[in-house]
Amino acid sequence: MKHRIRYVLLGLLLITAMLAGCTAPVAPQPADQGADQAADAAAAEKTKVTWLMLSEWPGTDDVAADFMADNPDIELVLEKVPFNDLFQQIQIRLSSGSDTPDIVSVDVPLVAGYGVRNWLMPLDDLYSDAEKDDILEAAYAAGSHNGNLIGAPQFTSTQLLFINDDLFEQAGIPVPGPDDRLTYEQIAEMAQQLTQDSDGDGVTDIWGFSWEQTNRIYQLQPMQESLGGQAIGDDGLTVEGVINAQPWVDAYTYYSRAFNDWKFAPPSDSDEPELFAQGKLAMMIAGPWQIQRYSTMNDGAGPGFNWSVSRHPYFEGGEIVTPTGSWHIGINANSKNKEAAMRVVNWFTTSKGAELWWRKASGDFPAQKSVLALFQTDPQFQEGTFAYMKTAADEATVNPVPRALTPGFLEYEQILQTTFSDISTGADVQSSLDTAAQRIQREMDKYR
Amino acid sequence: MTKAEKWVPYFFLAPALLLIVFFRLLPAFSGFLESLYATSFAAGGVKTFVGLRNFQDVFADPVGLQSIWVTLRFNLIVNPLQIGLALLLALLVNQALRGIDFFRSIYLLPIAISLNVTAIIWGLVLNQYGLMNGLLRVLGLPAQPFLQSPNQALWSIIMMASWVGVAYWALFILAGLQGIPTELYEAAEIDGTGVMQRFMHITLPLLRKVLVFVLVADTVANFLLFVPVLILTSGGPQLSTNTLMFEAYRRGFIFGDFGTSSAMIMLLLGATLAIVAIEFWLLRTSD
Repeated sequence: MKHRIRYVLLGLLLITAMLAGCTAPVAPQPADQGADQAADAAAAEKTKVTWLMLSEWPGTDDVAADFMADNPDIELVLEKVPFNDLFQQIQIRLSSGSDTPDIVSVDVPLVAGYGVRNWLMPLDDLYSDAEKDDILEAAYAAGSHNGNLIGAPQFTSTQLLFINDDLFEQAGIPVPGPDDRLTYEQIAEMAQQLTQDSDGDGVTDIWGFSWEQTNRIYQLQPMQESLGGQAIGDDGLTVEGVINAQPWVDAYTYYSRAFNDWKFAPPSDSDEPELFAQGKLAMMIAGPWQIQRYSTMNDGAGPGFNWSVSRHPYFEGGEIVTPTGSWHIGINANSKNKEAAMRVVNWFTTSKGAELWWRKASGDFPAQKSVLALFQTDPQFQEGTFAYMKTAADEATVNPVPRALTPGFLEYEQILQTTFSDISTGADVQSSLDTAAQRIQREMDKYR
Repeated sequence: MTKAEKWVPYFFLAPALLLIVFFRLLPAFSGFLESLYATSFAAGGVKTFVGLRNFQDVFADPVGLQSIWVTLRFNLIVNPLQIGLALLLALLVNQALRGIDFFRSIYLLPIAISLNVTAIIWGLVLNQYGLMNGLLRVLGLPAQPFLQSPNQALWSIIMMASWVGVAYWALFILAGLQGIPTELYEAAEIDGTGVMQRFMHITLPLLRKVLVFVLVADTVANFLLFVPVLILTSGGPQLSTNTLMFEAYRRGFIFGDFGTSSAMIMLLLGATLAIVAIEFWLLRTSD
């Protein structure tokens, strides 16, 4: 009887082995089998979290892989959208009540607007006390709406003047140092000298000066603020008499002349960082993330010419003002994976994830004090063009002025963006700003 | 016919009718309801019934009025232009000329490319350093701003829309042309008529129904044209390409003002219905 059972068991084993052989040419070893089963089980239990973010950020897949290595039960999917489309996509998807994406990258001035629409869930329980203490207070406050944190601070920012040293030397203009601060008037004078049509075909080959984001208020606001202008009325909803007041008119008259009279700025639909990288733009106001980009180009050889940075410019006799504010991370209030999304946001905005992003990804300025401190000690930032990051870290502390604090920031920014485009193509400055003020004021009324 | 048999046609029509109800009529009705409400974010996103105020706002707002004017101007130019060129193209393609087979195979290419891709390609062509300005420079002519100029941007959109539209509508007209019996032309030729006489007295009258359809369908398509404006100009420069369709999108999806956005869509719907009514009227008189 015993033998019979053994034969039956042996027979069953053989049949099982043959069947397994039909599907798998090599029978797995017991250890592999165990690993496969664990992997299958993990895959089955994995929570999929989607994050809508900028496609321009390099290295994000690497950092996402680091996160998933630390958190094998979460599959993090990055949905990458170009900068110019991200705001509209967030607006459309969140306003539709969709439960995806679970996480969105939020430009900080939009926090209030998303807050009044209840699109983002409160994140007050996101951090331990120690983690919260590590975040820049201003960034934490900027990510809050009605006393609740709804945008976890990921970065902060500043702006510098990027300089093509070789073009300066060719034009016989002394190159400003990293601690020099030019005035806009000096820039206009130099930029006209630097602008060239080298082959005389009537097409400009080298442009003198421009902004990285030619028509966005983020980079342009310091001009009118330097001249004493305000971003918005004290109530956060009044723009009539503010954005069409004299400081704005003077600032955008300068801006208009840069494109239309002096013609040292390339058309506003150009890719300015790329023009700079190609050696076709002598000066550009841009963020410190471009330091990382130009320093790591061509396997670390750089863009093929000497370049440097100096401090953010100001108007002669005016105040020194620098842009600030950057990307935060919010969680869709309708997300079905809130708990997993919270873990993602916590990981990316506390020490380890923030540092890995800073080292591997976009090169934005972290909003975490512990990571910011690494600029001073990390060997990577002590020499070469990477050392300009230290200049940027210092510049970030020089009178940073946030963008307009208003729930209607999206409308404010979008209408101003088209207005600046119009001015750059020759529209009358005063009437353009008057029209913009009327249009924005009309949109602001729904927040009263 | 039994009582049950009377229902058979409705049974077969039911799927189409249901689709029309769910995907056309209900959204239109929902849009109409939305146009009667305004959202106040100060009150926590509460919707308030405002009657026809959103419609009044469209006409009281300079940007709303401008977008109506741009839409009318665009359509008054683009529709006759596209239909005229489509007719010429169809007449050309209908001829037995040398090399016409090759031309017949390439003139339809614009239709095969998605409108998004077409818009992006035209954006590159009309760029300051694009192909068009390169050609102008070769010819010794000054470069043009095209999409950057308030005087040229709408014309650039018209050119792009026509690049696709002319070939598309020419297909319908060509089908109409090939449906005209050749005996009529032969008889007319024997009677000693010229080319223009044959065109005016045979071709045009027999193409009338096709032309009316093309006129109506083309106008509706152009009234609702959106993609090139979104991709190429975002309504600018200086609102010169800000059509009502694009302004409705901006108000709704960018500014979150779905009331005014829906009012604009209702105005567009009204205009479209008026065009369809004209179509019925034209078809009725032709019978």
